[in-house]
Amino acid sequence: MIISTIVFYALAGVLILSSMMVITSKNPVHSVLFLILAFFNAAGLCVLLGAEFIAMLLVIVYVGAVAVLFLFVVMMLDINFKDLQSGFKKYMSVGGLVGGILLAELIVIYSSWSFSKSAPENIKFKTPDITELSNTEALGRILYTDNLFLFQIAGLILLVAMIGAITLTLRTRDGVMKQDVSDQVNRKREDVVKIVKVETGTGVA
Amino acid sequence: MTTVASGLEVSLAMSQIELDLNVVMPEILMAIFGMLLLVFGVIRGKNSLRLVSYGSAIAMVFVAYMVLNLPVEQENAFQGLFVNEWFSSFMKVLILMGSVISIFLSLNYLENNNMNRFEFPILILFSTLGMMIMLSANDLMTLYMGLELQSLPLYILAAFKRDNLKSSEAGIKYFVLGALSSGLLLYGISLIYGFTGTTSFETLSQTFASDENISIAVIVGLVFIISGLIFKISAVPFHMWTPDVYEGSPTATTAFFAIVPKIAAMGLIIRILFGAFADLIEQWQQIIVLVSILSMLVGAFAGIVQDNIKRLMAYSSIGHIGYALVGVAAGSIDGVRGVIIYLTIYMIMSAGVFAVILSMKKNDRMVENISDLSGISKSNPAMALLMTILMFSMAGIPPVAGFFGKLFIFQAAVESGLYTLAVIGVLTSVVAAFYYLRIIKVMYFDAFEDKFDKIQGKSLATIMTISGIFALCFIISPDILFSTASEAAQSLWAE
Amino acid sequence: MEFIAVFLPLLGALIAGLFGKVIGDKGSQFITCFLMVCAAAASLFLFKDVAMASNPRVLEIFTWISSGDLNVSWALRFDQIAVVMVFVVNIVSAVVHIYSVGYMSHDPAKAKFMAYLSLFTFAMLMLVTADNLVQLFFGWEGVGVASYLLIGFWNHKESANSAAIKAFVMNRIGDFGLALGIMVIFFAFGTLNFDEIFIRVEELKDLHLEFLGFDVHMITLACALLFVGAMGKSAQLGLHTWLPDAMEGPTPVSALIHAATMVTAGVFLVVRMSPLFEYAPSVLMFICILGALTALIAATIAVTQNDIKRVIAYSTMSQLGYMFFALGVSAYSAAMFHLFTHAFFKALLFLGAGSVIHAMSDEQDMRKMGGIYKLIPATYIMMWIGSLALAGVPFFAGYFSKDMVLEVAYADHTWFGMFAYWVGIFVAFLTAFYSFRLIFMAFHGKPRCDEKVMDHVHESPKIMLRPLYVLVIGAVTAGYSFKELFVGSDRGDFFGKSIFVLAENDTVAAAHHVPTWVAVLPAAVGIVGIILAWVFYIKCPKLPEKIANAFKWIYKFFLNKWYFDELYNRLVVKPLFCFGSLFWKIGDVKIIDGLGPNGVAKLSKKTADLTSKLQSGYVYHYAFVMLIGIVCFVSFYLFKFNG
Repeated sequence: MIISTIVFYALAGVLILSSMMVITSKNPVHSVLFLILAFFNAAGLCVLLGAEFIAMLLVIVYVGAVAVLFLFVVMMLDINFKDLQSGFKKYMSVGGLVGGILLAELIVIYSSWSFSKSAPENIKFKTPDITELSNTEALGRILYTDNLFLFQIAGLILLVAMIGAITLTLRTRDGVMKQDVSDQVNRKREDVVKIVKVETGTGVA
Repeated sequence: MTTVASGLEVSLAMSQIELDLNVVMPEILMAIFGMLLLVFGVIRGKNSLRLVSYGSAIAMVFVAYMVLNLPVEQENAFQGLFVNEWFSSFMKVLILMGSVISIFLSLNYLENNNMNRFEFPILILFSTLGMMIMLSANDLMTLYMGLELQSLPLYILAAFKRDNLKSSEAGIKYFVLGALSSGLLLYGISLIYGFTGTTSFETLSQTFASDENISIAVIVGLVFIISGLIFKISAVPFHMWTPDVYEGSPTATTAFFAIVPKIAAMGLIIRILFGAFADLIEQWQQIIVLVSILSMLVGAFAGIVQDNIKRLMAYSSIGHIGYALVGVAAGSIDGVRGVIIYLTIYMIMSAGVFAVILSMKKNDRMVENISDLSGISKSNPAMALLMTILMFSMAGIPPVAGFFGKLFIFQAAVESGLYTLAVIGVLTSVVAAFYYLRIIKVMYFDAFEDKFDKIQGKSLATIMTISGIFALCFIISPDILFSTASEAAQSLWAE
Repeated sequence: MEFIAVFLPLLGALIAGLFGKVIGDKGSQFITCFLMVCAAAASLFLFKDVAMASNPRVLEIFTWISSGDLNVSWALRFDQIAVVMVFVVNIVSAVVHIYSVGYMSHDPAKAKFMAYLSLFTFAMLMLVTADNLVQLFFGWEGVGVASYLLIGFWNHKESANSAAIKAFVMNRIGDFGLALGIMVIFFAFGTLNFDEIFIRVEELKDLHLEFLGFDVHMITLACALLFVGAMGKSAQLGLHTWLPDAMEGPTPVSALIHAATMVTAGVFLVVRMSPLFEYAPSVLMFICILGALTALIAATIAVTQNDIKRVIAYSTMSQLGYMFFALGVSAYSAAMFHLFTHAFFKALLFLGAGSVIHAMSDEQDMRKMGGIYKLIPATYIMMWIGSLALAGVPFFAGYFSKDMVLEVAYADHTWFGMFAYWVGIFVAFLTAFYSFRLIFMAFHGKPRCDEKVMDHVHESPKIMLRPLYVLVIGAVTAGYSFKELFVGSDRGDFFGKSIFVLAENDTVAAAHHVPTWVAVLPAAVGIVGIILAWVFYIKCPKLPEKIANAFKWIYKFFLNKWYFDELYNRLVVKPLFCFGSLFWKIGDVKIIDGLGPNGVAKLSKKTADLTSKLQSGYVYHYAFVMLIGIVCFVSFYLFKFNG
């Protein structure tokens, strides 16, 4: 019990620290690296809660794909980060104040946290015992049956995102050299080769 | 467990799924139509905008018909994730009609402004689908999914004029702020879930009805949820995106923004406040009152100094949302009925106004300053007359339609004892009348400058005429809308 | 059939109004006239079906609004009094429509005129077929607007515009009363539908209301307010000054609106609400006295007027006075009867006068006419018939109805009934006198106009004369043929339930048992009046001037219409104007404008600038505002929850 508490605080502490570093570090590459660290710690917290599937998702999707993509984008775009950070101090005072108040309020809220009496009965899908059912399987069972509807909507959202990405960026340009395999395969000898008898001294017309 | 029993269980589950699918039949059809049209557009390639637009419009009309004639009696589906009652059906039909109108409004504009891409109607279609799901949401999860499905196409539509810096800026702004609001919404949902252990509206309302000891966390969660939703209807203080996005987006998109999504979001707010949080009315009423007052004030005052008519419409819409929220704040059947009436009238009026704005074209270029309207009563008398009627209606001057909208809202507010709100509403509508009347003054009394180009196609002229006649003739039979709205409002209470 | 009678005029108005340019003047004239004639034919049929065959009905069109207690529908109520009104309105309107084709032949805006006429007709039909007070009010306002448009139709004339405004303002006062009356009725009865009101009258007849320490009888209050509305529309004493001025409008308008139909709306209102008025005897008494006074004063003014249309206008007002005192003694059917016959002969007189004016190159002053009876014989004969009917000469339409009105007044056996009877007898004499003064002055004697006009005098075109024959038939026969139905022994069957009279107030029945002299006297004084007019204006034309000189101040008093306009100017308009300018200069400009509009405008501008300054365009500013909003909300609830 004590060990898990210690691990929790360690992970949570590093998580908070690294997220703060994300927004304060001067070098954007460092920021992204801190972001990856934050993801890892969050994944660790998930493992602590017994949600190992979500922890893995976090690592694979966010660290493996999203954060690396960020890293590339940051390195490829030539953005003057000095300019972006120039307003930082100007807004620090007001922003800090608002943030501070919000933090204080949230602390007050969580310190007086209580569950509703009926909360235990309200829970629709109780976490199954790990010895009976693995996390992944349990998620799969409700995701593809009871929450099928939501799952399908999620699919539609992704479809829309795809349409959006294409419609905002796809341009058809003329004169672009590209390989068309079917054209290449279907091409016939007669279409492209012409045999010309060349008489001496005249050349090809 | 024997195999026979489990087989029985499976077959039972199957028939349940079939029933559920029947309940969401309109939504499923809508999605299928959307995807078919997408495939059609991709295969046909260029110049399929017109066909896909017509296809989407027909699809939406068909779906509206389906909504009104569902094959099943059942109301709930997917274990309470989804629900259909009169209120949601009515609102669905309303937004479907609004989307059809928007598609017809946009056609010529898109073709003439180098945006001849078939994705536009498809995005509208998917956004509308999202709204339909929102309106039938009976669970915080469905709510969120529907909300995202409707928002994402909106961001894309705002940036649809991709070669235009303003349009891209509008898209990005809307997207970033929209993401922030989604974040707020999710945070609120997690707080609520943390306290009650459920996301279902029904269970939530039961919990709040039985539990006397409501934690402050629930209230704060409610605040976050309301804030996230209020962003979508652009009420103050979550309105800042509206003027910029309205101005920057292509006008066809602005028209859609003005006509449809707010109605859906308003319907959703009513659903969640009167469904899940009905017993916390004393808590949320204050927030709605405050937001409503601020919106009415900002909508009235900030509109005065605007020169761009799209920006003006943005402030006007903020103001109108403020009035509609008065009805929500009333917290009664009459209030909800007032909101429904108000939104319906508002939708038809904005469609007419945007038809006029989309016909503001001089020398083959779209213009959007109020001063461009000067003296058009001489060159386009019919259009000026229709715009006058619509402006009177927007300002809420009797006997045109807009007056009735405001009347029912204020009546409900007074009946619920919200006198201050009603008084502020009346005062701000006087202030707001200033900018509506200014447009009339510009059209009729300012020096005539330049003629507008001839309106292309029939759809714009038809829409503005229908809208104008509706505003004018509403007084003959307000009861058609009135009784339907009554039924719709009552369906929210009927248990 | 009902829809044809009511909605064809609307159709005509829409076609002529919206597509007047497309179909041209001829087209719009033809369409409006054709539709109007169809509507008139339909109303003839309806009159037979509903009134003769006692077959009243209510046609619900659709619900207008139903919210809580307020339940109002668009419905056509075709009971007997409504159908009588529909009949009168449509027949006269059809005649006037056709007549206008000729009369307005030199006017540039023919289509507009026809559209207005049809619109007016529709509004009037809405008024009389209303099934509830809201619809009635709608029609009431509609005829007001149409009347305003038509009086001011020649809007290049200054006087026409001011007359139109005067009519509108005067009517607004009446309408205000009517609106208040409707509210009182809704407050007391909880409904605005006629049927429901009439059912509840019995139980609510003693309803009293404590108001500012006064004990007010509900029904009396409602009736008094309704009557204020009726006074405005029907130009009763006090609110009458707009009617003579309204003669600035084209003559067909005067005939249709200000003689036959709209001005009788007040009478119709009282008849329609008879179940209520029966329980408000004090209001009835007031109506009776006011009606008698109106009849008297209008008749005395008419004697001195020289404008041919004004004479007829005052005679209209005077005849309306007759109808009202008949109402005042609960003789609703007698009032309806007089309304019915009056519509025919008064429209005939107006259109005849129009024909005269047309012939005299738009001259309206009778002093500049004379000696033209040979030149325009058809018009002359029609004017004779109209005047005989108006004067109450036996066997013309006016004789029967006017006799009846006077008999019921006598039969009421109350002091105000007696008062009305004797005033009525005197007015009958005056009526005969001034109507034949008109005939003799306009048609007989030496020509008093210049020769150019005289050479130009010509009979009106057929399109103007033909429709008048319809009215001639009405003016001659309407009295004799409908006497039994309206006021005779068949009246119970004829009116059915549409008129309600308490048994003890049934003066019409009592009128059949009055002494013979009471019945003969009106016709006798009428004939005396005619003879006197002959003596004054044919036999010795110097006599009127001598008498006028001898009683100079009385003559002047009458000529200047009892100084009503001047009185209003002094008592109401000028003080209000003074007050107004006082308030305007000190109160409005300095205080209200300074603090109000201008101050508010400045403040608004500042606020507006501030809000748009906040609108900086930076995303992080916007996000920041959102966060601040959230923090404020959360803080608010934290304090509320813990405090």
